[in-house]
Amino acid sequence: MATVEAPAPRGVPFGRAGNGVVAALGVLVLWGLAAWIYQLTQGLIATGMRDVVSWGLYIFTFAFFVGLSAGGLIMASASEVFGVKSLRPLARLGVLTAAACVLVAAMTIIPDLGNPQRVWELFRYPNWSSPLIWDILIIIVYFAFAVADLTVMSRRTTERSVRAKRLRVLAYVGLPTAVLLHSITAWIFGLQVSRPWWNTALMAPLFVTSAILSGTALVALAALAAQRYDRIHLPDETWKALAGLMAAAIAVDLFLVACDYITILWGNVPRERAALDIILPGGSWQALFWLEWVVGGIVPFVLLVVPRYRGRVGLFALASVLTMVGVYAFRIELVVGGMLRPLLHLPPGNALGSYKLGQTVFQFDGVYHPTWVEYAIVTGLFAFLALLILVGYRWLRPVERER
Amino acid sequence: MAVTETTKKWGMVVDQNRCIGCWTCAIGCKEINNEPLGFFWNRVLTAAPGETTGETSSAVADPASESIDVPHGTFPDVEMAYMPVACQHCTDAPCVKVCPVGATFRRDDGTVLVDYERCIGCRYCMAACPYGIRVFNWGDAQQPVDFTVGYGKDYRTDGRLVFTPDRPRGVVEKCTLCVERIDSGEQPFCVEVCPAGARVFGDLNDPESEVSQLVGEGGAAQLLPDLGTDPRVFYLPVDRERSV
Repeated sequence: MATVEAPAPRGVPFGRAGNGVVAALGVLVLWGLAAWIYQLTQGLIATGMRDVVSWGLYIFTFAFFVGLSAGGLIMASASEVFGVKSLRPLARLGVLTAAACVLVAAMTIIPDLGNPQRVWELFRYPNWSSPLIWDILIIIVYFAFAVADLTVMSRRTTERSVRAKRLRVLAYVGLPTAVLLHSITAWIFGLQVSRPWWNTALMAPLFVTSAILSGTALVALAALAAQRYDRIHLPDETWKALAGLMAAAIAVDLFLVACDYITILWGNVPRERAALDIILPGGSWQALFWLEWVVGGIVPFVLLVVPRYRGRVGLFALASVLTMVGVYAFRIELVVGGMLRPLLHLPPGNALGSYKLGQTVFQFDGVYHPTWVEYAIVTGLFAFLALLILVGYRWLRPVERER
Repeated sequence: MAVTETTKKWGMVVDQNRCIGCWTCAIGCKEINNEPLGFFWNRVLTAAPGETTGETSSAVADPASESIDVPHGTFPDVEMAYMPVACQHCTDAPCVKVCPVGATFRRDDGTVLVDYERCIGCRYCMAACPYGIRVFNWGDAQQPVDFTVGYGKDYRTDGRLVFTPDRPRGVVEKCTLCVERIDSGEQPFCVEVCPAGARVFGDLNDPESEVSQLVGEGGAAQLLPDLGTDPRVFYLPVDRERSV
């Protein structure tokens, strides 16, 4: 690949090492693809999902990827709409990650379907009362929008003033589109009366905030990698703005989650307490609480705001990764927490939809252990996302390098 | 199609005073519908008396045990009731609202059905159903015997495949209110096989029908009525006065 790009004056970003990474990611993508083909031969019985916990790894990864896509619009609109000029150098990188994330998010739904060959029916027989249809619509709009944004940004031949005007228009349209994307994804869950854990008006604000949080973290991580391996130069104000934005988003995110917890704890309505008790310290899924609040919340917040730690590249990268871990934990907490305890929680429980000789087909409390197939497919999707961003970066060179 | 000329509004009442928790309705359901192993369209839950009534259902009491047939309380002050639960055929059904492709739909007579040929298997309906009554074909159907039992044929309504004995992989299914039977004037199979006569099926549009009477003066109540799903299945709670 390096030889093809040879005439380029500056050499290929992420040169030799980059090729190795591309190859490694390619292997993971193929492994995921192989696992999906295996799943197609077996059906979803190859997963750990059953009738009680009927959504799992695919759905919370989907929700996570949708959130990750927020980065682009923040970088682009922060400078155009809110006048935060310090984030402008990251606008193209942000939009690149947005396009990649939303594309992979849409792909993540496919392995979750029992009949993926019928996916075209979504366009043939759309039921407009379903939040899922609206979500698919907004995903398509958002992807098209990100590609348009990227095209305008990359077209150097266009006259400067014309380009600036177009970017401005795109930023003003893009911002509400992004808010809608995260809100509609939140409403897939938030509108369901069947799941008290999901059924809160806080869901959309929570999704928007955690999307800003994880999206910014992804852009920061990509920028740090680019700085390390592609010798780009970003002004100090840009790094400061990134850190500030992430710290603020962590604070707002944890505040919203705390509001939800306090409302449930104070109200003490049994069916609302049920899910929360599973996640709070002492519950069977308490790891999620620690991941969200400490590992992915307080720790990165401290790393980002305490002056002594600020400006240290390694710690900033760590804070970005931990932030994403925290947001992913929130997605698991949401999906699984809503499903572990059925609303009609009476013996013998729900039928599983599968049968093994000598074992009960009933499940009183939900159990969910993802299988290797699910892990392999999701790993493949993560690898594909990284691959798209890396290849897109090499192709578009979205950040100015130092002269 | 057989029902379109009439304006039926099918409903069912389960009399918890009569239910003996024998699971005949659940097994009859499995039989008539050739349900694979691990599937129960209809289950008999062990509950506390009064759990189904309007005032207590918003906070469904904790179960007495994870096992069936365990009463609430300590001897001699114990109480228990059975609650058979299948699709509630909600008037404002969450599953119908969330299905992205309209595979789950509601007929004019109120029967909520799944089109086996349309379902994409996203399982959003399972997330949306408050009653946990939907089952998914995770893999190939496993059967205890190598022949088909029950109705045994495909059944279509308005051209849509709403029952098939040979389950396709990756679709959601659930109680059809025995649509193939009620369309030809028969009762749902669970009603017919109940040895205690605890199930009553009929037309809620007919004020003289037994279901209408039980829902009206009888005081039959819906399950989780505060959710606003407005089910067409009602429960007649245990009447302590009558049982003395």
